[in-house]
Amino acid sequence: MTMISEFISYPFIQRALLASVMIGILCPFVGNFVVLRRMSFYSDAVSHSAFAGIAVGALLGIDLSVSSIVVAVLVAVIIAFLSEKTGLAHDTVIGIAFSGTIAAGMLVMGMLKGYRADLFTFLFGDILAITEKDLLLIFIISILTVIILLTFLKPFLQITFNRDLARVEGISVRFFEYLLFLIIAVVITVSLKIIGMILVTSLLIVPAASAKNLASSMKRLFVYSCIFGIVSGVMGLAVSIYLDTSSGPTIVLVSVGIFFLTMLKRAG
Amino acid sequence: MIALQVENLCVKADNRHLIENITFSVEDGKIIAIIGPNGAGKTTLIKAILGLVPYETGKVSLFGRPFRNSHSDLKVGYVPQRLEFDRTIPLTVSELLGFTLPPVYTIPFLKRKGTREHIDGLLNVVGAQALAQRSIGSLSGGELQRVMIAKAIVNDPKILFLDEPASGVDIEGQERFHDLIKRLNREKGLTVILISHDLNVVYRYSDKVLCMNRKLICTGSPEETLTDEVIKSMYGEMMGAYIHSCHDHD
Repeated sequence: MTMISEFISYPFIQRALLASVMIGILCPFVGNFVVLRRMSFYSDAVSHSAFAGIAVGALLGIDLSVSSIVVAVLVAVIIAFLSEKTGLAHDTVIGIAFSGTIAAGMLVMGMLKGYRADLFTFLFGDILAITEKDLLLIFIISILTVIILLTFLKPFLQITFNRDLARVEGISVRFFEYLLFLIIAVVITVSLKIIGMILVTSLLIVPAASAKNLASSMKRLFVYSCIFGIVSGVMGLAVSIYLDTSSGPTIVLVSVGIFFLTMLKRAG
Repeated sequence: MIALQVENLCVKADNRHLIENITFSVEDGKIIAIIGPNGAGKTTLIKAILGLVPYETGKVSLFGRPFRNSHSDLKVGYVPQRLEFDRTIPLTVSELLGFTLPPVYTIPFLKRKGTREHIDGLLNVVGAQALAQRSIGSLSGGELQRVMIAKAIVNDPKILFLDEPASGVDIEGQERFHDLIKRLNREKGLTVILISHDLNVVYRYSDKVLCMNRKLICTGSPEETLTDEVIKSMYGEMMGAYIHSCHDHD
């Protein structure tokens, strides 16, 4: 008990806890749409496109969070636009964007001189390295995202259920689809520093998938997914400190553990 | 009053006409049945009217106003032929209907006065009151169709578009379903546009029939319009015999 209170007294642990709670709510909340609309590949592509943003930011000497958000949002818009205009299958467009942005990121990385440890924070995530500025950014994005999603939850869910019915009922499907693409892109990029580019998608998908295993209604889906997200974040952080392991992978492994438990419950 | 006016509607895909120069009108409070063989363009026609597929030329107006996708105030109900949705979605019947109710931009899980009563009353109308808390993916074909009808009428629409709504439903379920549509038409004055392959249904429930095979073949009351020649030209010789049995039943 003394050890826990000693740990919590450290400001970097406090920031990490706050970040894990906020991301634990934000990612699964948005992740429910990723799971219900089968957009896992899209979220993977967006998270990897942030790699190009980070590389460009490092090359130009601008804030890496800003550059990664800008590039991820740009890629999200390009994917949505090409899917709509070209008639190509959605996963084909995503595949092209995915490989294109990774290639661009690698090319730009090659132009950088010297060793850049800060870039690895975005690749693998480090919740213990979260600054107050990062925390503020996560807080603002979390509040804005939750307000937007709650306000437009009815149209988002109508579109998720059936696009044609939503359109007939007067919902601007195109507007809300672009909006959802953008929200997912922003949420992914603000979560990068915590969980890392490689694993960020899992925090969107796994708590939402676990909740879907148990939920019998949409209301429960949102409540369960946020609970699983918070538990994964906080427990993962605690375990990573206790075992001295990397925080990002530990958080993801805890959420995967919860997923398998919910699978057992579902099977039972 | 004219509820629906369609003028010279043409839909093309790959330089081929899916429907060509379709013109017809439907009076307010009437049931019109659209019939034609498979591939005649019936679903395309309804989707074009609803703005779900783009049309090359033509004009569609509802109650004297041009129809656009985002005109929610025109209050249109639609039950598609095959409803494509994720059957594993954790969505209850009650939630689905609640999401369709106004106001659109509000937190949907908050309890609003009268919402529960409205949804229960609606499910009662379609004979689905026991389904309120059931997951939408667990419903049988007939149950789902009743719920979709409830969803289509939840906002008190003026016009309903039904694309083979009873397909995949057992015979008893089909009967109940069509009786329900007729009752809504009588009690609420709903205008109904109905695609059906079942000529019995056309005779029993519709005020007007529209026969099409990419182009408009004929339109009028079922008794006057569905002659042997028309049926044979659309469906072939076998249906010519069937038409007599429909007449005999009536």
